Amino acid sequence: MTAAALNIPRKPSIPLSQYLVAGSVALFLLLFLVIPVATVIIVAFIDPRSGGFTLVNFADFVRNDLFRRSFGNSVYVAAMSVAWGTVFALPLAYITSRFQFRGAVLIQTLGVIPLIMPPFAGAVAMQLLFGRNGSFNLLLGDWFDINVPFMEGLNGVILLQAIHYFPFILLNVSAALANIDRAMEESAQNLGASGFRLFGKIVFPLAMPGYVAGASLVFIKVFDDLATPLLLNVKDMLAPQAYLRITSIGLSDPMGYVISVVLIAVSILAMWVATLATRGRDYATVQRGGGGLARRKMKGLDKLAAYGVVFLILALTLAPHAGLILLSLATVWSFSPLPDGFTMAHYGKVFAESPQFIWNTLLYATLAGVISVIIGAAIAWLVQRTTIPGRQMLDYLAMGALAVPGVVIGIGYLRTYYGVTLPSGQPLATFWFMIVIALAVRRLPYALRACTAGLQQVSPQLEEAAESLGATKARTVRKILLPLMAGGMLAGFVTAFATASVELSATMMLVQNTSDAPLAYGLYVYMQSPAGRGPGAALGMIAVVIVGLCTYLSHWLLARERSGATKH
Amino acid sequence: MAIEAATRAKAASVLVEDVNLSYGATHVLKSINLEVRPGEFFAFLGPSGCGKTTLLRLIAGFNVAQSGRVMVGGDDISGLPPWKRDVGMVFQSYALWPHMTVAKNVAFGLEERKLPKAEIDRRVKAALELVGLAHLAERRPSQLSGGQQQRVAVARTVVIEPKVLLLDEPLSNLDAKMRVQVRRELRDLQQRLGLTTIFVTHDQEEANTICDRIAVMNDGVIQQVGTPMELYERPANLFVAGFLGAANILEGDVRSHGGNRVFEIKGGTRLPIPKALPADPGARLVFRPQYAELNRAKAADDVDGLTGTVSHREFLGAAVRYSVALGTSEVTVEAPFRSGASLIEVGELVTVFLAPARMQFLAS
Amino acid sequence: MPVFNRRLVVAAAAVLVLSGAPHPAIAQAPTGKVTVVTSFSKDVTDPVKKAFETAYPGVTLEVQNRNTNAGVRFVQETRANNQVDLFWASAPDAFEVLKRAGLLQAYKPNTPGIPAKLGPYSINDPDGMFFGFAASGYGIMWNERYTRANRLPDPKEWADLGKAVYHDHVMITTPSRSGTTHLTVETILQGEGWEKGWATLKAMSGNMRSVTDRSFGVPDAVNSGQVGLGVVIDFFAFSARAANFPVKFVYPTVSTVVPANVGIIANAPNQAGARAFVDFLLSDAGQELLLIPAISRLPVNPATYAKAPDGYPNPFKGAIGLPGFQFDVGVSERRYAAVDVLFDQLITFNLEPLKAVTKAMHDVEARLARRDNPAARALLTEARTLISAMPIAGEQAASDEVRASFQGTTPQAKAPRQAELEQQWSNFAKEKYAAAAAKVAEAAKLAP
Repeated sequence: MTAAALNIPRKPSIPLSQYLVAGSVALFLLLFLVIPVATVIIVAFIDPRSGGFTLVNFADFVRNDLFRRSFGNSVYVAAMSVAWGTVFALPLAYITSRFQFRGAVLIQTLGVIPLIMPPFAGAVAMQLLFGRNGSFNLLLGDWFDINVPFMEGLNGVILLQAIHYFPFILLNVSAALANIDRAMEESAQNLGASGFRLFGKIVFPLAMPGYVAGASLVFIKVFDDLATPLLLNVKDMLAPQAYLRITSIGLSDPMGYVISVVLIAVSILAMWVATLATRGRDYATVQRGGGGLARRKMKGLDKLAAYGVVFLILALTLAPHAGLILLSLATVWSFSPLPDGFTMAHYGKVFAESPQFIWNTLLYATLAGVISVIIGAAIAWLVQRTTIPGRQMLDYLAMGALAVPGVVIGIGYLRTYYGVTLPSGQPLATFWFMIVIALAVRRLPYALRACTAGLQQVSPQLEEAAESLGATKARTVRKILLPLMAGGMLAGFVTAFATASVELSATMMLVQNTSDAPLAYGLYVYMQSPAGRGPGAALGMIAVVIVGLCTYLSHWLLARERSGATKH
Repeated sequence: MAIEAATRAKAASVLVEDVNLSYGATHVLKSINLEVRPGEFFAFLGPSGCGKTTLLRLIAGFNVAQSGRVMVGGDDISGLPPWKRDVGMVFQSYALWPHMTVAKNVAFGLEERKLPKAEIDRRVKAALELVGLAHLAERRPSQLSGGQQQRVAVARTVVIEPKVLLLDEPLSNLDAKMRVQVRRELRDLQQRLGLTTIFVTHDQEEANTICDRIAVMNDGVIQQVGTPMELYERPANLFVAGFLGAANILEGDVRSHGGNRVFEIKGGTRLPIPKALPADPGARLVFRPQYAELNRAKAADDVDGLTGTVSHREFLGAAVRYSVALGTSEVTVEAPFRSGASLIEVGELVTVFLAPARMQFLAS
Repeated sequence: MPVFNRRLVVAAAAVLVLSGAPHPAIAQAPTGKVTVVTSFSKDVTDPVKKAFETAYPGVTLEVQNRNTNAGVRFVQETRANNQVDLFWASAPDAFEVLKRAGLLQAYKPNTPGIPAKLGPYSINDPDGMFFGFAASGYGIMWNERYTRANRLPDPKEWADLGKAVYHDHVMITTPSRSGTTHLTVETILQGEGWEKGWATLKAMSGNMRSVTDRSFGVPDAVNSGQVGLGVVIDFFAFSARAANFPVKFVYPTVSTVVPANVGIIANAPNQAGARAFVDFLLSDAGQELLLIPAISRLPVNPATYAKAPDGYPNPFKGAIGLPGFQFDVGVSERRYAAVDVLFDQLITFNLEPLKAVTKAMHDVEARLARRDNPAARALLTEARTLISAMPIAGEQAASDEVRASFQGTTPQAKAPRQAELEQQWSNFAKEKYAAAAAKVAEAAKLAP
């Protein structure tokens, strides 16, 4: 601090309000992330024999074949998912933001739908379509006597994860493309570049911050996801290993927690690398005369090719949901390309039995989305607009939530808050609002990244202008900053909301009453019996439709807002 | 130097024929016809929203007209995409790619043309020397000043030796002092390269100082094309008169008075219209402030001049600017300041004298 | 293959639900909310909830669906402020864990007509901490469309699953994730002995498509036809049939029967309600609910079978072949973790090499069947011995030293940490499988 003080002799003192904001955020993270998680993963550092501090468990991790293999598999699957996710996302992002394209908003919305992958249902549907005896392979077997191992082992995990998480790249790259000064691209065209070379040399490098943000998110999510591999019976990956160990009955083995620590460490490392990759480079491309890539008309073959590509990608990435629709309408679907028959009975059953799941989900996911956006915006603001010490730590800490397995958060909350009782005598940990908090913490990284990106687009000069006209800091934030970063905050809310609405792992631990349970829990309950498969799929479909509609609505609102804004 | 020889040899004419362009219901360019001669420094001048940038982007290929065509060097390029036009453009924001060094930026167009590496290096070096930035080749754009960025943008464009150079308000992002310096550099560079250059600006001083000819545009229509002097001396219409430099525009009636045509302004004073000068009914009298002479008047009802009262006087150094109330109108007259000469005081009665050659009547 | 008359069972259940007389042995009338943590699906919990609430007006049954692991975890983590009255699940090991942790309380339900034992298995916990209310037999389930398309014969015995024809068509849940699979594995180990038992298990597992970590994963995969055959509890197959899936099920000649249990949590907030629920499950009304097709559990009261439809398997009458030996609960408990971890390290996480060598062996055997070669046969026998070799003996697995490794905090200076032990066992399996593969390759050269 003294060195810095010497360099910048008259550094303005930090106003109290900033300390208040930073303090509140830090307290929130401490209470609902750091402490609960610490109470669980502390086991990783404890010697089972002496009870003292040790790193021997980490040595065991390194010495163990299975863990090494799992680590390698996880890295491989995460990297390949990023690669395939890129293949899915880039054409969609580029075509929809670069050309005048009918239904661009619809495509952007459909592109987000895969994020809303209800637990169990997505994997089951994909198996029914692409599994060894799924529709495709049954038909291929009949016609050509071949069997394509789409879903075998790691390939299946990669395919499903790439489909599930590519929207992160899509959203971020689309946002980045929208921020590129069109002159950047036009000047390259003017100098003779076009097509793929133009994209590869100018457009993509300029969208790199968005891509890196999206790709790192995909990498971390895939690296830390346990549900998809487990549902596809892939166990030799890190996150599933952690889960299996933590939830094994009667074993008090520290390795599950060791793996959790490794997961968190790798995730933070990945984020750090992503930051390094874009640091020190100037990507601020919005200058005067900006306003995003010009949308151009396409003609003839180009148009046909573009629609073809978009259709193909959407068909593949929406396959789980197509399967889900079939499943929700199927009487019996077993070892056949299509169900034996169709029925609406499953929907009837769901509406009759469990409407509360739907309302609970909407309530929880909305609240969680709002909380995560508020905290995310606060952290983004602290990091970018203040000089408060330790602000970067808040960022990393919040992002760390990405890597904490949901079950660890669930157990942590039980451990920390079950002893605290509400006036009604109910333990705080099982009060429904704790599910909301858990969801908010788990989705905070998405909201934070979106808010950070949103804030980066707002020139500090706009705020300075307001302040120079006599607005206080608080009023400037409210009247200038918030409206301008509304787009980013909305994007953060949508991602947080959509993914929170189908989250299961933390919920599973905290649900106390069926009447308080969200949809994912209902889905789990259904999906545990043969007769429940149809209603489970129906419930999943309802979730997708509701969340999809909300997403579409917010895209539409955003588009309207943007077109209504004055042009520079 | 190689670039100069090549650009001089390649300099081409630009011909815009009957171009119309609309965005939905907005008719942005209306029947544009224009010829830019090889090697000419040409300006599109007009207020913002007049369509000048749209026209420039049309030539570059970023806008597509509903009708008409664009010829460069005699070839119709209307159907070509931007990257096949060989028309270099410098953008208002410069659009330097932040992820590339200065040298990489300049090399880009040459790489796209798949030139040999050695050739690229040589030409990049030459182009950067041309703009005096060879020493900054490895910097990134964000490390340069505004003026330097502008020069890089120019180097990046001229290095491909285009047939035509388009400049979209290239000085607008510079401070006033830099602007004067850079515009001279641009003019010098253009002269050395002999490049056909089209320059878009809303600043008449910029256009006047560096361009050979100017097309004044307003509301999607070319109002007048000519040298700066022609436009100044003989504006084709009130818009051009008003847009280029200060001009007095007086409302009044063209009447017959004692067998002669006179211009009677509101308030009663009359001015004989010289025989040779065309003046339609309803036309307005236009003259530049410095082309009028101010004399102390004897009486208010002098019919052969514009008589009025001095309402303001401003000392400008080389000249004195008087505002004269003529009935309900007011005109500005600038008289050269001569040391020792007596100045007319505010409130004095004066006659504004105009030589016939300095008068112009323009339809409103 | 039991055949049910569905309509009859539904009707019977409906009558029961409506008439449901309260159990006579209630000391104090239960009221209020009874909270139960369960791993059972809606198919089971919904009818029981309805019948229980009808039988005890004024009582509501609050069902918390959690998988067994999460359920145990929840009860453990919330012990300081317990809000749960009952734990209700299949897996006996989950109850053992809760019992050891002192999270269950003893109760003596009044249950005339329920015997102490079903075959070699005790129905209730000897200490009265948890009670079997239903039984389920283990067997093989298969998808008819799948077996027809792949021309697979219908399986009958456990040993069939080790046959070449079923290679890569079978699925099982790992015993570390399924108490019922664990019990089956332990039964095989006790019935056939440690060495031979593991040899059987490994021969079977060499044919596995995969070893899953979710008990429902097996019937789910068979139902949808992703896998042909699965080792499952009977009710999974029965309820799948009830949902019209094209599946069949068979009890092998010697099977296992696993009790499904209920236990009262220590400090249950609603003691009276908890006891009422246990009593209800064990009452005639409760037992008869088990006959509903979507539930399809085997009642523990032999008398209830009188009301069952024709063909309903009655384990008390020998419908399910039960092992003739005495099941040793003590041994089972002592080596519980060791058996789970051995299975995972030798089979689950080394499935690929095990499958590869098994497949290679099947191929050589097929060739030898056409033209014999004694030397090749000898090599195959050697390979089999290598595959079935175990890193530790049965007694060792139940020893204090090995147990200490799995109890984490127990200070036992000599005991290796669990992770170390796992690495040793996994390496052992890897080496043996590799050696066996080499022998089989040698045999393949000799085989014509």
